[in-house]
Amino acid sequence: MSVVNYGTREITCKIVYYGPGRSGKTTNLQHVYSQLPEERKGKMVSLATETDRTLFFDFLPLDLGTISGFATRFQLYTVPGQVYYAATRRLVLQGVDGVVFVADSQARQMAENIESLQDLHANLAEEGLDPRTIPLVMQYNKRDLPAAEIRPIEELDETLNFRGVPHFSATAVTGGGVFETLRSIASLVLSRLSAPTAKES
Amino acid sequence: MAKERQANEEDESGEFADFLADVSQEIAQRVESLDPKVAPVAAEAKKTPPTAEARKTPTTADAGVITEWPSIVERMIEEMR
Repeated sequence: MSVVNYGTREITCKIVYYGPGRSGKTTNLQHVYSQLPEERKGKMVSLATETDRTLFFDFLPLDLGTISGFATRFQLYTVPGQVYYAATRRLVLQGVDGVVFVADSQARQMAENIESLQDLHANLAEEGLDPRTIPLVMQYNKRDLPAAEIRPIEELDETLNFRGVPHFSATAVTGGGVFETLRSIASLVLSRLSAPTAKES
Repeated sequence: MAKERQANEEDESGEFADFLADVSQEIAQRVESLDPKVAPVAAEAKKTPPTAEARKTPTTADAGVITEWPSIVERMIEEMR
């Protein structure tokens, strides 16, 4: 859980972008990275195959500088969407503070969205995290595709967003909706910031 | 602190600047609301010597440093097999 550490004057939050393969998780991180001012650009770690599929995960450290006297960092991760990387997904979820579920709006990808959402819930539970309460935001990506190929937002929301969490339309490839989504999950995570207990300090 | 925030905001532009401004506001509120309750607990905790386990683990997270990196690499290798 993200903690305000008064001893080291640090706040660190881990956000994971989850979703089926090719839904646009890496594209979200790439857009965030592209918008960072030069002096804030750290290294975005991306392990991809020759065909550009995320092999293990992407990692983007977001150093926000000193805010209210605290060195503030967001760590953005993606998980590999492909079914066979289950162990990596569980690993990346360790210590997660908030999740962005990137759903593919295409009608033919609906089953993959549902499967990935179920996988997320199972993995969160395995990590001892409650899938019903962890900060979560839904992003319905690829809204730029022809209307005939994609599901309406209402339909996606009804099928995938049973918790009624904030949801956003996105076209991550052009950056649409990317920062709105990030801002929303950041807000949810920060609203749960807690003070460290004596044990944690 | 207000100066820090102002300086940060002046340096940035565009989507990232908006994001940073929102996050800064949120953190300022949150830190303020937690501070009075927590300060004594944090001070108390400082007096306690760290355990051997705590000494082994890096406590200062730096940008670009993944503290759980060794275990991730192990799992990567495991998956590749």
